[in-house]
Amino acid sequence: MMFVSFIVLIGTVLTACTGGEESDADIEVSTQTQEEIVYATAQDINDMNPHLYTGSMPAQGMIYESLVENTEEGIEPLLAESWEISDDGTVYTFHLREDVTFHDGEPFNAEAVKKNIDAVQANAETHAWIKLSTQIEDCRVVDEYTVELALSEAYYPTLVELSMTRPYVFISPNDFIDEGTKDGVTGFHGTGPYMLTDHKVDEYATFTANDAYWGGEPAIETITSKVLPAGETTFLALQKGEVNFVFTDDRGVDTLDVEAIDQLVASGAYQLIRSDAMNTKMIVANSSQDESPVSERAVREAIWHAIDRETIAEDILDGSETVADTLFSSNIMYADVDLDRRSFDLEKATAILDEAGWLLEDGSNVRMKDGNALTMTLYYDSHSSSQKTQAEFIQATLIEAGVQLEIVGEESTSIANRRSTGEYELLFNQTWGLAYDPQSTIAAFTSEASYLHTTSGIAEADTLYQKIEDVMVTTDEDMRQNLYADILEIVHDEAVFIPISNGSLTVVAPTELEGVSFKQTQFELPFEHMSFE
Amino acid sequence: MGRYIVRRVLIAIPMLLIISFLTFLFINLAPLDPAEVVLKAQGVPTITDELMAQTKEELGMDRPFIVQYFNWLIASLQLDFGSSYVTGKPVWSLLGPAFLNTFKLTIVSSFFIIILSILLGVICALQEGKMMDKSIRGVSFFLTAIPSYWLASMMIWFVSVKLDLLPTNGMTSYQSYILPVTVIVISYAGIYFRNVRTSMISNLNEDYVLYGRACGLPEKTITMHILRNSLQVAMSIFGMAVPIILGSTVVIENVFAWPGLGSLTVRAILSRDFPIIQAYVLILAVAFIAFNTLSDIITAAMNPKIRNDL
Repeated sequence: MMFVSFIVLIGTVLTACTGGEESDADIEVSTQTQEEIVYATAQDINDMNPHLYTGSMPAQGMIYESLVENTEEGIEPLLAESWEISDDGTVYTFHLREDVTFHDGEPFNAEAVKKNIDAVQANAETHAWIKLSTQIEDCRVVDEYTVELALSEAYYPTLVELSMTRPYVFISPNDFIDEGTKDGVTGFHGTGPYMLTDHKVDEYATFTANDAYWGGEPAIETITSKVLPAGETTFLALQKGEVNFVFTDDRGVDTLDVEAIDQLVASGAYQLIRSDAMNTKMIVANSSQDESPVSERAVREAIWHAIDRETIAEDILDGSETVADTLFSSNIMYADVDLDRRSFDLEKATAILDEAGWLLEDGSNVRMKDGNALTMTLYYDSHSSSQKTQAEFIQATLIEAGVQLEIVGEESTSIANRRSTGEYELLFNQTWGLAYDPQSTIAAFTSEASYLHTTSGIAEADTLYQKIEDVMVTTDEDMRQNLYADILEIVHDEAVFIPISNGSLTVVAPTELEGVSFKQTQFELPFEHMSFE
Repeated sequence: MGRYIVRRVLIAIPMLLIISFLTFLFINLAPLDPAEVVLKAQGVPTITDELMAQTKEELGMDRPFIVQYFNWLIASLQLDFGSSYVTGKPVWSLLGPAFLNTFKLTIVSSFFIIILSILLGVICALQEGKMMDKSIRGVSFFLTAIPSYWLASMMIWFVSVKLDLLPTNGMTSYQSYILPVTVIVISYAGIYFRNVRTSMISNLNEDYVLYGRACGLPEKTITMHILRNSLQVAMSIFGMAVPIILGSTVVIENVFAWPGLGSLTVRAILSRDFPIIQAYVLILAVAFIAFNTLSDIITAAMNPKIRNDL
């Protein structure tokens, strides 16, 4: 053993010493031609109960399906072939596909839909974040393949929320415990293209193609989710071919850094695929902090002008994200609104501050007004190395405009806590992402747990909240478009959400893998469309 | 000897109680509401006041601190550490297999560390000051100084990727043990063999060695006597090697994706899964105290003088 250790070590050190001369393209990647996808993930798939929130979303996306699907072209049929909405917008009648069975052979029908929706509603407190859960009054079986969903009032994002990865997806009623799912389930049988066939906690999970899938058996026979906590190991496992697929995880964290991805792509064995913009990374400014300069619109606007987004996107984020000029990118529904761009312009920032009465005294580098210094605190997630670098960079440019920023790194839970209690001036955050935007992020403007403190200090707060209430219940498409435009204009003018960059989903896959595409959420991938050349 | 053992074990009990109380206290001092932590760990997107109240009641968090502590302690003594905040599964069902995986790694590593330490310690002591002694100490100093994280990555790259001899990660076959065990042995053997060496050298200068040589005893017999005496000292150090390795496999497990205690706890800490963290700290404390007690007892058995010191 001793000698093996020493020989291996000395060999390693020697090779490491000479390895520096190797160019990126020389890295050998020994992916054999494989017919299966093995993806690396930092965490176990956890409890796959689709009516709770601990399971891995990409894995749940393979097993479970919803009534409808959110696509680029809008809402499309999935388990429901068609649907009608009553004139007053409160009753949705769904006509289900008749050729669907759960993985355990149980038929998928109106009864199964009702049982599932009832199970979700039985745990309503947990689902309060999804507004539909507060609107559903009843789910009725009309006939074997027809089901009616009755709402307390018209709620336009109903179909969008029914299309989400959870909770309104369907698990075989045979898996229920005590007629429900809130206390756990006995198995994980969905209707989706893949079945969970093997799971070793904290090691791997295997999903096998569902040969009885109503949409046709998927081309890739097995998909394995392998738990690899360290990015370096993932990189090495990709080089060896033990793992052949990686993608941005649920929390938006890329396990591989940009350099590692470049090396893999340069080897010719892997391709890099990036989705369109999926979310917006931003700094949230607390307009309701009366004591703080951040409550002043001019100050927020000046900060916006003093952030060099180009440099952040290109240098700090290595080009992996694009510059964001507005809260939502224009590919988000209802967000293609013409708003003034506030470009990086330090002179403009100083002019705005001068005009607002924040003046620089001789010999000082921090502006003052009525005896108060222009000093604020920015909180960032201490686990995110890029947020820390961005915070330091922003701090350095803001001081040039006479604004002193203190930066504090905290746990993400503590930051979320600050957001809900209002104990902050500025903090990093991100929108909920495609499919959830704009409605979920905008609904959160009025929620105490989210952005209420951010928005409540602005002059037009009451108008804003009224418009948000109206937009969720209006059934008139034009009116909805106009209301969203107004809402976005108000928060844009008030500069409470200072956009930085647009993030996207990243996939590194074998070169010969075809059909890699994205869904309308940043949380899952359509594996069933993939195949090897 | 019997009395010594009883007294030694009795001392361990209050230590365990103090540690268990501190573990519980520190975690409850975290600046977040535990109910909120539970809900966040479960990935509930938005937390309402009603949900918080409901969760507190379900988990008994609405009771006074001291009541919560005693409930936890009594349950823990029956190996019931509650349920994971994240998965909802009993902590023991998660910790059990992870503990076993780490224990396997620890035992195999400790075995090689002990063998290698004795071997190198003896060689160095017998060659004291010579080239062999100096080179072994020099190499071991160099190896111990290498961060295990880096060493592990380099080994995977060379042995698994370049030479294609072993798997890069996981715990699938006996081959999976080779790299992690090698890294652990390299990191620790360097420390332990020095203890054996020092102890051997001090024994070499004892009168009984001189007497033995004067009597014409074969060199081999003398060396065996020295070794036996030296190992008495090294015993307590080796005793502690097991819990030390048990508690420090975090880095190795992360790099090699070894489904053990280290990986489990890192994830528990990141998601603030307090019941797992509490159980982990308690298990490690028990391991430290148990191995410490055990090595004291063994040393006392080998050296009667120590028995009277307690």
